Amino acid sequence: MAIVRHPKPEGRMPNRPKGGLSRCVFGFCVDVRMQFRQFGLRISAFFRPSAFGFRILLLLIVPNLCWSQSPPASQDPMMQLMLSQPKIDVDSAVVPVSSFDPPIIRPGEEATFRVTLNALETAIDWPDKIPAPETLSCRAGARGQILSMSGPLLIPRTTFNYRVKAAATGEFTIPEFNVAVNGKSIRIPATQLQVATAVPPGIAPAQQLLFELPTNGLFVGQTIRARVVLPGSPGGMIQSLGQVQINGRGFVVDQSSAHARIEAIPIGSSRRTVSAFVYEMLLTPIATGKMSLFAQGYAVGNRVIGGIIISGPAGPGGGQPQYTLVDSDPVILEVRPLPRGSELPGFTGAVGVYSVDPPELSTNVVTVGEPVKLKVKVRGEGNLARLVPPQPPQMSNWQIFADATENTPSQIIQAQGFVTFGYTLIPLTDKDKATPAIPFSAFSPDHGAYDDLTIPSIPITITPGNVTAADLRTVLQAAQLDAELEKDPVLSGLAVAPGLAGGMVPVQQRGWFPLLHVVPASALIGLWVWDRRRRFMETHPELVLRRRALRALRRERRCLERAARARDSAAFAAGAVKAMQLAVAPYYPAEPKALVGADVLMMLSDQEQAGSPGRTVREIFSRTDAARFAAGSTSTNELLRLKPEVEGVLDRLETRLCG
Amino acid sequence: MRLSRFRNRETPLRDPSLHPAGETKPGSKRTATPCALERGAPATARRLSLAFGVLIGFLFSFAVNAEPADALFRYATNAFNAGDYPQAAAAFAQAAALHPASGTLQNLGNAEWQSGRPGPAIVAWEQALWLDPLNQFARNNLRFARRTAQIESPDLNWSEVVSSWLPANWWAWVAGASLWIAVGLSTVPGMLRWRKAAWQQALAAFGLAIFLLSIPAHIGIDSRAKLGFILFKDVPLRLTATAEAQFITRLAAGEPVRIERAKGGYLLVRASHTSGWIRANEIKLICSLPGSIPSVDPEARTAVNL
Repeated sequence: MAIVRHPKPEGRMPNRPKGGLSRCVFGFCVDVRMQFRQFGLRISAFFRPSAFGFRILLLLIVPNLCWSQSPPASQDPMMQLMLSQPKIDVDSAVVPVSSFDPPIIRPGEEATFRVTLNALETAIDWPDKIPAPETLSCRAGARGQILSMSGPLLIPRTTFNYRVKAAATGEFTIPEFNVAVNGKSIRIPATQLQVATAVPPGIAPAQQLLFELPTNGLFVGQTIRARVVLPGSPGGMIQSLGQVQINGRGFVVDQSSAHARIEAIPIGSSRRTVSAFVYEMLLTPIATGKMSLFAQGYAVGNRVIGGIIISGPAGPGGGQPQYTLVDSDPVILEVRPLPRGSELPGFTGAVGVYSVDPPELSTNVVTVGEPVKLKVKVRGEGNLARLVPPQPPQMSNWQIFADATENTPSQIIQAQGFVTFGYTLIPLTDKDKATPAIPFSAFSPDHGAYDDLTIPSIPITITPGNVTAADLRTVLQAAQLDAELEKDPVLSGLAVAPGLAGGMVPVQQRGWFPLLHVVPASALIGLWVWDRRRRFMETHPELVLRRRALRALRRERRCLERAARARDSAAFAAGAVKAMQLAVAPYYPAEPKALVGADVLMMLSDQEQAGSPGRTVREIFSRTDAARFAAGSTSTNELLRLKPEVEGVLDRLETRLCG
Repeated sequence: MRLSRFRNRETPLRDPSLHPAGETKPGSKRTATPCALERGAPATARRLSLAFGVLIGFLFSFAVNAEPADALFRYATNAFNAGDYPQAAAAFAQAAALHPASGTLQNLGNAEWQSGRPGPAIVAWEQALWLDPLNQFARNNLRFARRTAQIESPDLNWSEVVSSWLPANWWAWVAGASLWIAVGLSTVPGMLRWRKAAWQQALAAFGLAIFLLSIPAHIGIDSRAKLGFILFKDVPLRLTATAEAQFITRLAAGEPVRIERAKGGYLLVRASHTSGWIRANEIKLICSLPGSIPSVDPEARTAVNL
């Protein structure tokens, strides 16, 4: 079959498109071709456009145009947030800066040796001890990290403070030493401190924080307001503080209740009033004993972080932020434990001076099973936001639930001076005339005893409802069961005994365990073999007879041997006869004793019967019979000489039995 | 009381005066016993007596190890109650190494947790459950620790869950006993020509059923034996089994991992989301022998030294 192809048209114009868009594109191409022709070039010298080619081109271009105009795919908000953060500069060369603040001090005064590196704190392997001269007492102080903006990057600044003091005048040098930063060794330059009797004018004293506590002796759990003060410079410039923290162990600081202010306070022995930046926060010791605390923070110039209260004419100074890490002298706090044994009911750890307002009910007329809200305000000093409401009592007539803790910010709670406890009470009977009292108590540090702050009962009218008390109790018991099941796990006490013991490696992975199974397997195999043998013997009783005869023959031959050794011819003769009878007995359906010499001879070949074995058998039997049955005495003494022949006959008979 | 007192204590198993029956001390006179075995088959008799001696010795060593372990247990309990948690942990670890017991391991976990070492604490509690799955205190402590430290529980498959119903070693004994009961009751009566009884067949069927049902538990025990727990904080999971390998992620103390294979001093482990190599001493298997664990991971100690 011939295939006829359409001839390819030479002219392109007959394929002129009729569509609008195709016509425009086609027109553009024609214009381009006309311009090329003016230079003596034909576009067909490079490619030959066709309608089909244009369609392909459009198919390729149009989707791309559409895609490029579509909105970008939505990204993960968290990822967007992370990407929007400025990058932390960890690639720049680490430049250490070390200095004494101030560089000149009097003997006995303290200066701060400060080393700052532009690296993350976690990347610095700071030594436990720096190589300070022995005559210069050196104590580790604050250490911290702050990120400062520099262009599009966040520059990490990690600072290590040391408090140094010298008793004598002179120049003290902390020699250069190396620290590892990101695995690379960085040289901290040597720094000099001059200790002189007179400090030249213009040298400002060291910038230090003041850490103030209202009392140094308090009870565990007692909340106090700690003040961190950064005094302004003698010139009146005040710097604000950032990243304020209190260092030490055995206490918690409620940063959510912190606030800052600028106020004029008397400072120093001269009680000179200066403006200072004051940062206040609530501090609660959670461990007993003596504890050493000190405050630290970054003096960040005029950068005020969070809200600030300014009392008086002072205000933050201008200038660029310095980001200087400053710290305070340590403060010793002595924390006593709460007295044991005298706790009152409803004690939830509240330590402070508190009072309870009269409680309020949402309604004083309620039906059985209908919930009623009870609210009570607790006022006092201390960390009100952290006050734990007392657990409601378990009662048969009432079901009481403590409401969830209110979501009011702790700063507002502290400012308003009270916290509200809420309870939902459901009466289960109409017999009660008042709400139950809810035990509550707090430890008062002022007089060192527990105060009874029980929430009093309030008169209420309960009317009978449609719901029976039994139904309510069933529902409530189920709820109580669920609550018990969802109880948070707590660390158990110690086991009183070692308990169930065993090997850690699984028994089946030990080498002896498979071998142990060889024992029952062997026993079973042995039993099986024994059973098979027994069955075989049952089907072949002649074998049993022959084996028995063989055993008896061997026994008799031993007796025969003993008789021969003892030269007991009578016993020898009797034994020989008995052995021969036993040896041939399996071949006859008779008792061995009933067999005679002829029966034995029958078991010998004709040649043997005619030869020495036959004679021996006849002689043994005839002599023995004669000795047994003859009237006169017949001697068997000469039979002992026949021992080799008797042995030979018995060997032949034994061989026959074994065969 | 010092721990060295227990460390220097010789176990009676090593005492030459406690040789198994049938053997005499070196230098002592052998008494002539008219033993039929000696006359008939002396080699077999010696082998039998040796096997019996080994068995008795094994049971005896298990019993004699319990005595110093009990003393250590009491000492560690007192140290724990006095607040000396590291000392208590060391003593509980020694007691558990001498005589692994569920209560000792539970207490070891408590002491390690109080010492601020969640990794060894979780391992100890898991080992306590390995020995005694009915130890509710250890189970509760594990829940507490995992909730506190935000650590995932090991993801057990169904055969591993089945295997955790009984102490790990019990499955082997149950399977062995049930198998031989089934085989014995189905073969021995025929060989001994006993009359066939319904109870024999029922017991054989029951034994066979128990044996078949215990097979998944055996598989679970085998795979659970490869379960390990990270001992230290932020253990790096490496891409390759080399010290200079790139870190894929860091694993928290107490995080469960499954060991795939070993290479040199490294183990290929599968964590909950990823696989990688860790140092062999940064992990402890659930079925490994209890013992003291260094407080600082070797890598960190090397870094400090550098």
